[in-house]
Amino acid sequence: MLTIVRIHNELLGTYGDRGNADVLAFRAKAAGVTSTILDISYRDPMPESGDIYLLGGAEDAAQALSLAALKRDGVLSRIAATDSVLLAICAGFQIIGTTFVNGENEVVEGLGLLDVSTVPGKSRCVGDVKIFSDLLGIELTGFENHGGVTTIGSSAKAFGKVIVGRGNGDGAHDGAVSGNVFGTYLHGPVLARNPEFADFLLARATGMKIANVTDPLADEYAVWRRSVTK
Amino acid sequence: MPKRGLKRAILIALISSWASKTFLRKSGETISGRVLLALRPSAIEELSNDRIILLVSGTNGKTSTTRFLTKLVEQLGGVATSKSGSNLSYGVASSLLSPHRYAVLEVDELHLPGMIAKTSPRVVVMLNLTRDQLHRMHEVKKVADRWKKIADLAHETTFVIDIDDPFLNYATSKAKNVVRVSFGGRPHPDGAVCPQCGDYLNWIDGQYECLCGLTNKYSDRKYVAQSASERNAILANVAGYIVGTSWVDPDSRELERKVEKEFHNRKVSIRLTKNPASWTEALKSIEAQRVILVLNAREVDGIDTSWLFDVSFEILRNRKIVVTGERAMDMQYRLHVEGIESSRVANFEEAVLQFEVGSEIQALTAYTAFFELSK
Repeated sequence: MLTIVRIHNELLGTYGDRGNADVLAFRAKAAGVTSTILDISYRDPMPESGDIYLLGGAEDAAQALSLAALKRDGVLSRIAATDSVLLAICAGFQIIGTTFVNGENEVVEGLGLLDVSTVPGKSRCVGDVKIFSDLLGIELTGFENHGGVTTIGSSAKAFGKVIVGRGNGDGAHDGAVSGNVFGTYLHGPVLARNPEFADFLLARATGMKIANVTDPLADEYAVWRRSVTK
Repeated sequence: MPKRGLKRAILIALISSWASKTFLRKSGETISGRVLLALRPSAIEELSNDRIILLVSGTNGKTSTTRFLTKLVEQLGGVATSKSGSNLSYGVASSLLSPHRYAVLEVDELHLPGMIAKTSPRVVVMLNLTRDQLHRMHEVKKVADRWKKIADLAHETTFVIDIDDPFLNYATSKAKNVVRVSFGGRPHPDGAVCPQCGDYLNWIDGQYECLCGLTNKYSDRKYVAQSASERNAILANVAGYIVGTSWVDPDSRELERKVEKEFHNRKVSIRLTKNPASWTEALKSIEAQRVILVLNAREVDGIDTSWLFDVSFEILRNRKIVVTGERAMDMQYRLHVEGIESSRVANFEEAVLQFEVGSEIQALTAYTAFFELSK
C-alpha cells in the first residue's frame, strides 16, 4: 500500500495543486499499485510512514503558517533523509528551501531540504511554462504564478531548463532536485499535465518500474499541452 | 448644470456610440465610456455629483444582483445602470451618461476602490470574495486589502456585506457605516487564514472566530438562504432599503446567470460558471441526465485551468456528459481522474447533437462561451 500525504491543502491549495495527489493515486491504480491519500491539515500530526509527500502553492500568510507547523513537528526534515519522495510546488518549493523573503520583506529560514533561496523579483511570473528536464529526458508543461527569484546552491540541481516562461524567475531554470526531493514552480497541476513525471515519482517511491500505465487520454493531454505551449 | 467641456465630451461620446451601433452594429456601450473618459478624465466624478449611487461588487453574482437591485431602485424613479455587465471604468462612465437621479452600477473587484473614490456612493454591496482569475487578481487577500483601504476612508458610504465571508468582514472592519448580514454561517473555500491577523482561522459549523476578534458570531441582520442567488437577493434588498425601496422576494432563478434556448429541437438551459466557487454552486443545480460542459481559458475566464482539481464533479457521475470549448481536454482529463467519463467534441453545436431530439440538456459554460451562446 502506497501512502500519499497531501500536506496542509487548506493552506497550500490556492493553485489547484491538490490534483497532484489525485493523479498519483489514479496512475498508481492503473499500474496495479494500491494507494491511499492522507489529507493532513494544519492541526493534524504529520505521519512519518508516508511514501510520497506533497506541498502546494499558497498566499503569503498561509505559507508562513504551513512552514511554522512543519518546523514544529520536524517530520518532513526527517523523511527527507529516507527514501520517501517529496514534491513541493511554488510556495511549497520556497518552504523547503534554505531561505525566502516573506510578505513583510523579512528573510525567513525554510526547512533547508533543498539548497535554494528565494528573493522577491521585480515583476510577477505569470503564464504558461515549458521546461526540459534532464532527469526525465522530456519536456514538461505547466502554469506559473509567483513573484520570486530562486537561486540554486551547490548541493542541488535545477529540475529543468526553461523553454517557455520564467521558471525560477531567471528565465533559465525551473525548480530544483536533490535525491528524492523535488521542487518546481509548475502548477497545472504538474502531474496532470505530465503523466511521465507522476510515473517517475511512483517508481522512485515504490522501487518498482512503472511503465505499464496505459492511458491514451493522459498522453493526448500531455502531448497537446506541449504542442501549444510556445 | 454640467460644465461646457463635460457637455461637449458627452455629446461626442453619444455620437460615437450611435455611430458604433449604426455602422458597426455593436452595442455601443463601451465606446461611449471610452470616448467620454478620453476627452474628460474627470467625467465619472462630475457625472456622480448630486446623484444617489449604489455599487455592487464581488467575485460572483455581480451582474444578476445589479439587475435585481436596479429593479428594486426603480420603485423610486429612473435608474442609470449597465445593461451588459461591463464593469470597468469605461463601463461605469458609459452607464452614467444616462441622466437619472439613481445609478446602480456593477464594478469589477480591482476597480472598486477607484470607483468608490470617484462616485462617493451612498451604498456599496459586497457579495463575496473567492479565488478568481488568479493570473490577474493574484491573491484573494490582496483584493480584500485594497477594499479595506478605501472602506476605511469612505465615511459617507454604507457597506452592505455578507459577514459569513471573512474577507468582507475584514475589508469593512474599520468602515464607519456597515450593515453586516449573516446567513447562519457556511465554510469559505479560501478562508483557512484570518485575513486580519494571518493566524489559522478557527471554523466550527460555518462560524469563524479568531483571537484577533474577527468573527461572524455577531451580525446586524440574520436571514436564511438556500443558495448564492438567494443570498444576493437578500443583500440587494438590504441595500435597497437604505435608499428607501420596499422588500421584493425574488424568484431565485431570476438571479442565476442563465438562458434557456432551443438548438436543433433540443432544449438547453445554459448557465454561466467561472471559478471554483461558481462551478461548485452551479453543479448543485444539475438535475438533467444530459449535461454539456464548456471550458475556455481566455483572459476573463482566467488563463490558468489548474483550479479544475479544486472542484468536485461527483454529481455528474452516471450522467451523459459532453465536453467542448477551447480547453475541453483539461476538463475531460480532470473528470477522468475523478472516474467520470465524457465525450469531447469540437463545438457547442456538435455537443447538442450528441443528444436525441427533444432532450432537455443542462449546459455549464465558461464566461466567454456564455456570452457567445446567449447572443
